[in-house]
Amino acid sequence: MAQARAGEFDEFVAVRWSGLLHLARLLTGGDRHRAEDLVQESLVKLWFVWSKVADEAPDAYVRKVMVRAAARSARRRWWGERPVAQLPDTAVAGDVSAVVAERSRLEAALGQLPAKQRVAVVLRYYQDLPEGQVAEALGCPLGTARSHTARGVARLRQLLADVIEPVG
Amino acid sequence: MDHFERQLARMMHHSEQQSPFEPRHRERLRAGVRARRRARAAQAAVGSVLAVAGLGAGLFLLPHSHARDEPSAPHPRPAISPTPSPTTTPTPGMSPTPPSSTATNSAPPSGTATSQLPTPGSSSTGSEPTPADSETDTASAPPATSTANYTSEPPPGRSAPPATSSALVGPTG
Repeated sequence: MAQARAGEFDEFVAVRWSGLLHLARLLTGGDRHRAEDLVQESLVKLWFVWSKVADEAPDAYVRKVMVRAAARSARRRWWGERPVAQLPDTAVAGDVSAVVAERSRLEAALGQLPAKQRVAVVLRYYQDLPEGQVAEALGCPLGTARSHTARGVARLRQLLADVIEPVG
Repeated sequence: MDHFERQLARMMHHSEQQSPFEPRHRERLRAGVRARRRARAAQAAVGSVLAVAGLGAGLFLLPHSHARDEPSAPHPRPAISPTPSPTTTPTPGMSPTPPSSTATNSAPPSGTATSQLPTPGSSSTGSEPTPADSETDTASAPPATSTANYTSEPPPGRSAPPATSSALVGPTG
């Protein structure tokens, strides 16, 4: 029984690993090491409740754990973020592929946001969650989650103005 | 959702890169599970030890707390000497008997000049015979004898009757 559960868990992790790592990278503003730590920490917590949530929604459980941990990082200062006025130099488009450059620029811009704004934006635009579920994942009222999202998007408009040209 | 928000969502989705679940990830995950399991076991052990220690301390201190409720020393003797000298005159301020369970040998106030000393045969006598016993025999009969009828007569061997009897005797005499 335990072996079967462990096999299911391994299979779940192998299938979801890439997506979870990408979500963690967005939540951490592109910090790959911190993103791996976040995924590991969340999966360890999932292991101990696997028998309870395996048949229900393990994805939602892991996502909630990751989001809560990423949002708490604003208080813990895990990543040693130092907001700067100007974005740091990123990879030049001629040296690497356009996709990598775009990703680096996006992660750098996300790294400029406060943790809760970043989490709200990622949940809203990458996970495509409705505002109610964003608020639930953040553990805050709906209006607060909406405010986090709006402020984060407004800040990203400034940071990514040269990447995403406005229409018309 | 405007153009920027659509582009932002597209960038987030397209920037995902495939990263396989490698054996090092698996080993690290196993190590994390083992570490967390050890931490949980340690927490449970510490909690059990603290619970047992607290229970033991509570059981150890419980009997001692009962002992504190009881007096640790005998009651103090009355401030008034049980055998006053015949020359002393009783003062009204002297209380006949304090309401204690021990035998008090204070004399009840009376109208005679001499103090009424307890007689050996009466219920209010103290255990110590005094030289003034002969004088009290000539004085008016102490009302303690009536009290002796009121209360049960103590056996001859007993020296101190209950103090409540003398307390009742005083005002009536």
